[in-house]
Amino acid sequence: MGTRGPAPVLQYPVNVMNDADTIQPLNGRPPYEPGDAGAFFAHVGSGGKVEADDWMPDEYRAAVLKFVEMHANSELMGVLPERDWIMRAPNLRRKLALTSKIQDEVGHAQLLYRVAEDLGKPRAAMLQDLLDGKTKFHNVFHYPTRSWADVGIIAWLVDAAAIVSQQALRDSSYAPYARTMKKICWEESVHIMHGRDVVLTLMNGTPTQRAMVQEALDRWWGPLMQMHGPPTDPAKDKDLHWGIKAKNNEQLRQEFLSIYVPRIRELGLRIPDPELRYDEAEGRWHYTEPDWAELKAVVTGHGPASESRLEFRRLNFADTQWVRDALLGGASAAA
Amino acid sequence: MTAEVTLDAPARAAEAELLMSVADDEFVIGFWDSEWTGIAPMLEEDVATSSIAQDELGHAKALYELLAELTDDDADRIAFGRDADAFRHAALLNHARVDWAFSVARRWLYETADAVRLAALSSSSHEPLALLAGKMRREETYHRLHADTWFRRLSDGAPEGRERLATAFECLWADAQEIFAPLEREETLVGAKILSQPMRELHATWSSQVRPMLEPLAEGLTPAEPSPDGRRRRTDDFRWLHGEFTMVARSEEDATW
Repeated sequence: MGTRGPAPVLQYPVNVMNDADTIQPLNGRPPYEPGDAGAFFAHVGSGGKVEADDWMPDEYRAAVLKFVEMHANSELMGVLPERDWIMRAPNLRRKLALTSKIQDEVGHAQLLYRVAEDLGKPRAAMLQDLLDGKTKFHNVFHYPTRSWADVGIIAWLVDAAAIVSQQALRDSSYAPYARTMKKICWEESVHIMHGRDVVLTLMNGTPTQRAMVQEALDRWWGPLMQMHGPPTDPAKDKDLHWGIKAKNNEQLRQEFLSIYVPRIRELGLRIPDPELRYDEAEGRWHYTEPDWAELKAVVTGHGPASESRLEFRRLNFADTQWVRDALLGGASAAA
Repeated sequence: MTAEVTLDAPARAAEAELLMSVADDEFVIGFWDSEWTGIAPMLEEDVATSSIAQDELGHAKALYELLAELTDDDADRIAFGRDADAFRHAALLNHARVDWAFSVARRWLYETADAVRLAALSSSSHEPLALLAGKMRREETYHRLHADTWFRRLSDGAPEGRERLATAFECLWADAQEIFAPLEREETLVGAKILSQPMRELHATWSSQVRPMLEPLAEGLTPAEPSPDGRRRRTDDFRWLHGEFTMVARSEEDATW
């Protein structure tokens, strides 16, 4: 044997993500024995992370899967309201920005279905359950769009409300989800800038354009206030207890209001809630109680556009089934 | 090395006609393909198709900007301010997207023809056009790979995909020739070396490349030639598309969006 030369230089970076900018996967074994649910919950309860191939109790796996699956469904269904305007974008710059924004959302759905798949449910089954109305997606995607101003309000405020909760999910105890949320949050922040620019341009435009934005805000405000869900008892919220999510519903809504109420008013828009005010002494926003009955009806498939959106997906899914069959060999193929 | 030439008025008018034809092709195919965003057969393909559509729209934007410089106009006004009959895209792009096989067939026909056209434009004597065509060519190489991959997947796969693809090629074949439809001022373009070869020569090159590849799939394809009105015929499909993409822009005169 001859002398050994220098070690080969790697041709690609081993850590493609910046160490300082990412949650590092756990090295070695997690600090609990497989099967020890008590030690597992102590681990996640104290901020510990879980990787896809770590042992986890079935109830934790099911809870993460349900949470991530609904998030993936929401990204996929969230494509449809804005997609109505892809063919109607009014200039070259907006056309490119809107197409790219919606492409990002499809990409997020793909990333999130992959996270969910690792937990044991195939993508095809998740898509089928969505089409069958067995699983849910966020309330805001059950409403129709009416004007170009909706494109601005959705990209600015719906994405802003979403990013408030998504930023908190970067601390999720389920590490693959937390890492995925880093990429998603970065892209969503670009969408917010695009949305605000659409709104700002309209607010600097003609009286008709300004009225168009106010009308859109008036329609979307109710769903926006419902989006984070009713206040829950933190002691009973298992997702919170297990660190799948890091903040409760009311915390997220208060955070959204603190950041966005001033920004909405700054553009000359009126928020359609006479009760909305910040209480300095209490350190929180007061607002008209959102319509929780509407939220419940909407997310269980009884929103104004729930059925038409699902039907549109079903029709397109059926129309393209032959492609998946041709390519992947039949019913087992994931879309 | 291309030399910068100062364009006289006839050459300027001729180049404007050329730029509008290429830009309208890219704009309209970009619009049709962007319609797959959110509903493509697979999520991975959804992202890819949307990305390609954005490239085409980006090319259209750059071409309209070059045209706007030549004619002292505005790129958005050219793209969104014209009536449907003023568009100069090839008849191939008059059709709605139909199904996935139709979109694959159209994209394959377009990409193969566009490659021949871009090769000619990248040696244009008008340097800004040559540079832009060179840049577009680099991106179009990946579009071509993508189109070739789907061509093979469908033509070598299950009978249904093969039949759908063959039907789409038979439907689109005559209109695909029109990418090389003669331009009114073509003699001026070729004389000034803005266009290195006449359209009929580019057409012959393309036809000799693609016919042997298509023959095993669609036996009924006979040699076909471009027609003089190949960039002037408009259809109800395109009129619908035009109505969609001008809807917001036309809803409020002189507004900024």
